[in-house]
Amino acid sequence: MINIKHIVLLACMTVAAMSLHATVMDSLRVDARLGYTVGGTIPTHMGKEIRGINSFNPGMNFSVAIEATLPLKNHWAFHSGVRYELGSMDVDSRVKNYDIEVVRGEESLNGIFVGNVRIKTTQRRITLPIQAQYEFSNEFKLRGGLFMGWLTSRKFWGWAYDGYLREGTPIGAKIDMGREPGDRGDFDFDSNMRHMQWGIDVGADWQFHRRWGMFAELTYGLSGIFKSDFHSVQTLRPMYGTLGILYRIK
Amino acid sequence: MVLSSIIKLLKFSLMAGLTTLLAVLTTSCFGSEPDCCEADIEKVTLHVDDPADFFFQPTDSMQVVFSTDTIITFAVRNHVDVTSLAPEFKLSPGASVSPESGSTHDFSAGPVIYTVTSQDGKWQRHYRISVVPTAIMVADTLRFDFEHYELDPASQRYYIWHNVLPDGTLGNDWSTANAGYRISMSSAQPEEYPTTPLAAGFDGAGVCLRTCDTGPFGKMANKRLAAGNMFLGTFDIRIAMSDHLHATRFGIPFTNKPESFTGYYTYEPGPTVQDFYGNAIAGRVDSADVYAVFYRNHDANGNEVVLYGDNVLSSDLIVAVAELEYVAPTSQWTAWDVKFKYREEVDEQLLANRGYSLAIVFSSSSAGGDFIGAIGSRLCVDKVRLICSHEE
Repeated sequence: MINIKHIVLLACMTVAAMSLHATVMDSLRVDARLGYTVGGTIPTHMGKEIRGINSFNPGMNFSVAIEATLPLKNHWAFHSGVRYELGSMDVDSRVKNYDIEVVRGEESLNGIFVGNVRIKTTQRRITLPIQAQYEFSNEFKLRGGLFMGWLTSRKFWGWAYDGYLREGTPIGAKIDMGREPGDRGDFDFDSNMRHMQWGIDVGADWQFHRRWGMFAELTYGLSGIFKSDFHSVQTLRPMYGTLGILYRIK
Repeated sequence: MVLSSIIKLLKFSLMAGLTTLLAVLTTSCFGSEPDCCEADIEKVTLHVDDPADFFFQPTDSMQVVFSTDTIITFAVRNHVDVTSLAPEFKLSPGASVSPESGSTHDFSAGPVIYTVTSQDGKWQRHYRISVVPTAIMVADTLRFDFEHYELDPASQRYYIWHNVLPDGTLGNDWSTANAGYRISMSSAQPEEYPTTPLAAGFDGAGVCLRTCDTGPFGKMANKRLAAGNMFLGTFDIRIAMSDHLHATRFGIPFTNKPESFTGYYTYEPGPTVQDFYGNAIAGRVDSADVYAVFYRNHDANGNEVVLYGDNVLSSDLIVAVAELEYVAPTSQWTAWDVKFKYREEVDEQLLANRGYSLAIVFSSSSAGGDFIGAIGSRLCVDKVRLICSHEE
């Protein structure tokens, strides 16, 4: 966490230092962006415990942003801004020997699950990207860098169903889980999610008109979505892909 | 100078970002199927040349093994030779067993121990299999005093009870749903479970059954309470969550003809009866179950039968019932003595071939199976007797 704070501080200082530079200010470009976002979380690796995906629904989400570009020299530029992103996901997967823990208050049930797991998440995030931009031409630009995100709302819930749990260890009591609420293993991990996320952010802009353009953006969290002391489900990382239009304000 | 350094840094971060992303995306594929880590005997079959002479019932040659059981006993006719038998196993996928399934062993000197190893080699379970020549006991009175109890050896979280068998050894005929309570209330101490020993019972130790709150999990699952219960039979933890009424398997093979069912109880209903949704039902007082059911343990097609929570008092196979119809609230030890009401004649031949089963059922809330009852209802029982007759 200290590292993240240092990065933010460094970025702010850089932006502040540059903004003081009058000639720099003159060349600053600002645009407004509206995008369709496919957002959610993905495992750090698709472990062999996950045997298949029954269904995946990325949900209908959008993002709005105000972003600025500061041209430097030799086609290079600095790019940053503020985004507000909605992300959601509904994934149903088939698992085997999947480590799972269901927690309610002080009570918990854990073990090895064989069956199906449904996971739903929604996140609302304010994101600050800090990117380097290479401008191939006035029309075409490629960006890469880091992002910092702060979740304003977060939900992570789901259930283990149509399968069985071996309680504690693979030789523990075998407990069937059915399909209906009450017969299955519900979980709800909202409060175990981090507020802060950070990671890699790459994007591309295509400025096909003096004012109008299109953009694509992909962010991948290097921080897990859960707090470091949480081990009920495997490490999941936030990943958002956005396609949208941009409008040059300045 | 500063600017070019920044550009270099930015250039580096762009490359690093793209490279990492590429690496992430390429590793996001499914790995190969993992090896199984389970190590169970799921089913045991004992093939013999003359099953009718060896077993009491044809269905006795096969046993389905619960995930929580590692002690497997075949009760066979008293005169048979058990020195050369070869049990065959159905194991959990990929597991192996030593000695091998189908290998021949001498069971006359006691149980044979089999070790099952999981496919991944990391887990082992040891099973004790006995084949016990069983004399048909002709007893006038069966006594259940609840003096023998211990913490469940595997979990050490809740109590289990042993009955004293006619030959003086300890049996495992009493079951409770304590294992099921553990699913919802992992933090509960042994004394907080629905069924607990009562150190000072009517005579020595007794047993205490209490209707308990099932906590946040129970609430989430609309299974807000667990009645304390105790019964002759087995509890199938596997379906405790998905099909709870069938998790209580009432009855054990019984070779005597029961005439009356006696014992001592105290019953103190909890203050407020609640419905399925946890709402108070005004004016209703909780009620307890104290009954014994004698039934034929095979259906007309010869299939083995046990009675469940949803048919223990309604099955067509019931031969006789002894029920304390009203368990009057009392804090004093109170005797009950109820006669078995027979609905049909008992077939002596079937009785000798273990074709009848007996279930004794105690519950602190009669409607506990539907999750209706009063939290805190407390039924204590002790010195239970089954008085039997044996017609010549």
